[in-house]
Amino acid sequence: MKFQEELKNSIRKVLPELDMVIGWGKSFDPLHATPHFIRRQEDIDELVISPLSVHNLATYLPGLRGKKVGIVVKGCDSRSVIELLQENLIDRKNVTIFGFPCTGVVDQTKIKKAMGHTGNIESCDMSDTAIVIKSKDKTRSLPLSEMLADKCHSCRYPDAIISDHFVGDRIADPAPAAADYQALAAFEKLSVSERFGYWLKELDRCTRCYACRNACPLCVCRDHCAAESRDPHWLSQENNVRDKLMFQVIHAYHLAGRCTECGECQRACPVDIPVLLFKQKMNKEIRDIFHYEAGVDPEATPPLLSFKMKEENITEKVW
Amino acid sequence: MPVLEGKELRIVGFLCNWCSYGGADTAGVGRFSQPTDLRIIRVPCSGRIDPLFIVKALMNGADGVLVSGCHPRDCHYSEGNFYARRRLEIMQRFLPVLGYEPERFAYTWVSASEGQRWQEVVKSFTDQIHKLGPAPKILGPQASDTLSLMAAAL
Amino acid sequence: MDSIKYLKSTDLKHWLEELARENSVFAPRAEGDSVIFAPFEPKQEMSIKHAPTVPPKKTVFPQSEKLVDFTYSKDPENLGRVMIEGKEILPEGTAVVFGGRPCDVRGFTMFDRVYLAEKTADIYYKTRRDNTSFITLACEKPENTCFCHWVGSSPSDTTGSDVMATPIEGGYVLEAFTERGQDLLTSRLLENGDRWILEAQEVHTIAAGSLTEAPNLSQAPQKLLDVFDNMDFWENAAAKCLSCGACTYLCPSCYCFNITDETAGMQGTRFRSWDNCMSAQFTMEASGHNPRPTKAHRLKNRIGHKFSYYPTIHNRIISCCGCGRCIKSCPVSLDIREIVLEAINYEPAAGEE
Repeated sequence: MKFQEELKNSIRKVLPELDMVIGWGKSFDPLHATPHFIRRQEDIDELVISPLSVHNLATYLPGLRGKKVGIVVKGCDSRSVIELLQENLIDRKNVTIFGFPCTGVVDQTKIKKAMGHTGNIESCDMSDTAIVIKSKDKTRSLPLSEMLADKCHSCRYPDAIISDHFVGDRIADPAPAAADYQALAAFEKLSVSERFGYWLKELDRCTRCYACRNACPLCVCRDHCAAESRDPHWLSQENNVRDKLMFQVIHAYHLAGRCTECGECQRACPVDIPVLLFKQKMNKEIRDIFHYEAGVDPEATPPLLSFKMKEENITEKVW
Repeated sequence: MPVLEGKELRIVGFLCNWCSYGGADTAGVGRFSQPTDLRIIRVPCSGRIDPLFIVKALMNGADGVLVSGCHPRDCHYSEGNFYARRRLEIMQRFLPVLGYEPERFAYTWVSASEGQRWQEVVKSFTDQIHKLGPAPKILGPQASDTLSLMAAAL
Repeated sequence: MDSIKYLKSTDLKHWLEELARENSVFAPRAEGDSVIFAPFEPKQEMSIKHAPTVPPKKTVFPQSEKLVDFTYSKDPENLGRVMIEGKEILPEGTAVVFGGRPCDVRGFTMFDRVYLAEKTADIYYKTRRDNTSFITLACEKPENTCFCHWVGSSPSDTTGSDVMATPIEGGYVLEAFTERGQDLLTSRLLENGDRWILEAQEVHTIAAGSLTEAPNLSQAPQKLLDVFDNMDFWENAAAKCLSCGACTYLCPSCYCFNITDETAGMQGTRFRSWDNCMSAQFTMEASGHNPRPTKAHRLKNRIGHKFSYYPTIHNRIISCCGCGRCIKSCPVSLDIREIVLEAINYEPAAGEE
């Protein structure tokens, strides 16, 4: 993208004061990017900002506490950084935030569906409107808007909400193309008993790898995660769909009021289970009850960490 | 105590020690009879209740879950039920996404002197659960263990 | 009996249905956007055009399996004395796994060297292994994450397969490599396959030819040991790793497990489940000490194990099968090939030891 050089220069100037800057770089094939850790000046040239820069790099910040870290963020990533600040999991003075105007990132699952198979990609070229992918046996030009992740269509924060260095022009009027929570609305058309069957079917193939948990920037419990605890014994280690479903509920609930819907959990899943739906439901209810969005205001207190004597949107059950 | 087959459903109750458990006690002393489906677990405060208890109870075979604590402002520990109110309201609204009817869970505030009210709460909630019938159950480790039976039932 | 047969594509499902009369048959099937191994259902479509998302590891090494059912009882003469009675639960039945790729099935030979060692054989693994046959699909079009040829394998490697099925125009050429394989090829749906041998070999040649040249990994075991104490090297390599378990659980040759006893009252079950060396608590000891406290330590162990320690103990055989799933399914696209090559080409900077 156009501001890539500006960003590299920005980093070049600040790098001597920092231990590292985290951005994105080229990966094993033209269709993927990978987190890139810039420690020396020569690493800066490998920086790539494109619709392939899907990873939420904020997940590395809690583990690097104490070091001076620079981080390149999309708008959604900056919300994770703010949430970490809200919870005092990172120190503002040790984080240098580089922002840029994000026009969306791709969903690899959508690309795979459109291409049929993405195992032999030879090149990938992007313009503002299309992504041209050449594989061994075919070349396709796919409309970029159709390949974007769902979250990009309803994005209200394309620019980093807080930053120390912002390159390029901020997106003037971030009017999202689609309404929030469309995937959730579609899911909720299923009857209550259909939903039960849906989750059993989807979660059956879960391998309990916890990629969803580890990709989440807010999951910082590491060694003390409830999922692996033997005392209290929340989950059995047995390969049982009930424990797999229970883990997703634990994850969604431990993220209540904290999740910024970056979608990394769903993207990280190696067997494509739609786990983001749980968190979206949680967030929607919290927004309806408390008019609160996580990761927007570094000074805000998450709703589950406080209370009001009289709650506006909670009414007592009448027997 | 096993569930009376065909007559009882299994309802788990989480009652705070000070108000609600006291209220249930008062109901007992006053001989206010209630359906016996409800099995009570005593906790020190409704604020101790991790909302995940409700989901775990349902997933492990409960047909309904009832939580009861002190009235807001009357918490024995001052603030516990304020937090509980927020957590449990969110759980109430979240449950349907899993495939459980939201009416299978209720949280309420019953004080130690409200024996008669406790009787009404228990009767009403038990009726509610009986109207819904047994909750969806997970019958085995593989999804097919449950799904094949669900398909057969339809 | 001839060991090369031909099966028409239109007869594939019928053949599997026949095998399903006496065996549990597993085949790749699409679930959501992934392809997994599931019990074969004639009415459902199989997904065999491309390598499946997960290997058929769980058919022989289940994600969790019950080992022993145990019951406690109190001695009525002496109530303080509690006795325990355990009942082994051995797996039953025979299975046929259709549609694994050479890399997937090769993984089981890595297991065998550890689980079926001379002095001790794992009875649960052995029972399943002895009763499971593999009909492997030869690869026509390796992907750019395939590197089976780096580790001594190939798109038509027959190691571990009972039957290899090579897709050609209109059908499959089937060749048996074991006695069990021979027994699978007795169906009347199969005809003699001799006249398609050359066509099948063409498929193998084209597939192998499409792979880029493999680097020489013979130095890997020593070179990885050379950088063992270099934590800077491993911290850089592991910087983007999330320490999850996607790579491990999708790997055909990862075989670590955890044992758990779950008790309810006076009875319980002991079972084992997959464990992964990338998770933070993998080497947590009862004392609280953890010899692999950081993801750098753990990544060093995983890569070291596959490309250095296993080959050193087992006749220079690399336990990685080159299937590339760890690269494709890694949420941050960590590339194991990159790190191994970095270690092989690592030259300490001037002034360093």
